[in-house]
Amino acid sequence: MADSITTIVTQLGFPSIESFIALLLLGGAIIGAIVVIATIRPVLDMFPYAYPNARVRARIGRLFTEKQISEIMETDDLEEFKNYLRGFPEYAKYVDQYTLEKALDTQLAETYDLIARIAPGDIKDVFKVQLKKWDIRNIKSIITAKEAGISSEQIMELLIPFGELNEDMERLIDANTVTDIIAGLEGTEYASLLEDALPAYENTGMVLPLEAALDKYYLENLLRAAANPADENSSILHSYFGSQVDISNLKIIMRAKADGLKYDDISPYMISNGYQIRDWKLKDLMEAEDVSGVISGLEGTDYAPMLTDALSEYNSTGSIAPFEKALDSYLTKMAKTLALKKPFGVGPMIGFLSRKEMEIRNLKVIARGKREAGFPVSMIKEMLV
Amino acid sequence: MVELALGTALAAIGAGVAVGFAGLGSGLGQGIAAAGSVGAVAEDTDMFARGIIFSALPETQAIYGFLIAILLLVFSGLLGSGEGLSTVEGLVAIGAGAAIGFAGLGSGMGQGITAASSVGAVVEDPDMFARGIIFSALPETQAIYGFLIAILLMVFGGILG
Repeated sequence: MADSITTIVTQLGFPSIESFIALLLLGGAIIGAIVVIATIRPVLDMFPYAYPNARVRARIGRLFTEKQISEIMETDDLEEFKNYLRGFPEYAKYVDQYTLEKALDTQLAETYDLIARIAPGDIKDVFKVQLKKWDIRNIKSIITAKEAGISSEQIMELLIPFGELNEDMERLIDANTVTDIIAGLEGTEYASLLEDALPAYENTGMVLPLEAALDKYYLENLLRAAANPADENSSILHSYFGSQVDISNLKIIMRAKADGLKYDDISPYMISNGYQIRDWKLKDLMEAEDVSGVISGLEGTDYAPMLTDALSEYNSTGSIAPFEKALDSYLTKMAKTLALKKPFGVGPMIGFLSRKEMEIRNLKVIARGKREAGFPVSMIKEMLV
Repeated sequence: MVELALGTALAAIGAGVAVGFAGLGSGLGQGIAAAGSVGAVAEDTDMFARGIIFSALPETQAIYGFLIAILLLVFSGLLGSGEGLSTVEGLVAIGAGAAIGFAGLGSGMGQGITAASSVGAVVEDPDMFARGIIFSALPETQAIYGFLIAILLMVFGGILG
């Protein structure tokens, strides 16, 4: 057999069997290297997500089930509701420390904080930007509370102990006016944008321009952090947060059109570079005559069919709530789809945060219902997301 | 310097390929499964034992590669006092090493990904344990095929027996 191999090798033009084997090994080494590189790359992309996704999935498993939500709804009063929550360590530590609503929001803030800490390096920035929502929420609470003349102690009850400015908040509470609050924020990223919105606040006497400026800043930052879809994970984040921007813009436009407002009234509140609604389309929507015109203008986007379905309810009630509900439901479904689309990527984190937000929203609805004596469970059930 | 026959030297390459590639796949797979298990244990300390089981699954590919490598080393005369191999037998040894090496690489990585995913499923819902084990065991078959072919190559290629 060896002789026949040697003959074949010689016929192929190789001077010896050794040189043929050397070439064979070289070829094998090159093929081996290609196989290794091609197979390892996708696995290396998954590696950074194995640890955080296991933690996230553990927390998904601890979210309240429908049965548990029903049990909470069946509690007799707020105290029994709190007792129920005491049975769950993540809620128990805050329930005795804060008012119920603050305890729920603090738990949510802690969840966001955890995700920002464990998220892999290439997407960490996006989740860090999400933490700004607690600073923004606290600043909005202080401004609104000051306007309403609420005492410092009561304002303290509203603040969520998370965010970069957490330690500065007590100083802001002591401010006497909105201008003092903005002065107190000097040196932070929020000072200049609130100063820009200050004339609108002074002219109208409403805090809405200040709140809108903060919300716009948050969403613009979120969009910027997810703006470079370098790989599938960042493009998922871009599509999700881009859709959040679209939905925020659409809600404002819908509300404005229902109130008969024009382009100039709406445009200061718009955020550019959404996901499905580009700037030129946004301009068309703002220029639409009424709510029906806005929906017609959305033709070709995912938002058109669901808003068309909600149009008849709007026509009969005059409330834009059906549109808002449809848009929120779209975002929830999108988060669910993304969670399944990329199980070894950012998907489970998006899916979990969306479900956690929903859980907290539902618990707050139940808490409000339980606060009013005799509020029927059936009505609470209808109000749940 | 030790004088080696060409066949024996080729068998040494076969042993290296067997344990090297199978170990690479097993290591990557075990790494990803263990990273998932650490995350699960961080949330639920009761997951430790189950995490260890899932993390240990992708170990088998390295064991297969290691066994084939040892057999090649022994029967090629590199370990012990056996006779050296002919050039043709040496080429067969490379084939045997490549069979378990590449099969172990793919199988180990696949098993690691499935095991990490199963750890996530079990920490979310403990009832998923048995089903997670079954799914995680599926990618083992490719390594078994590679191992069997490596053994057959060695038996019928004249290295074993």
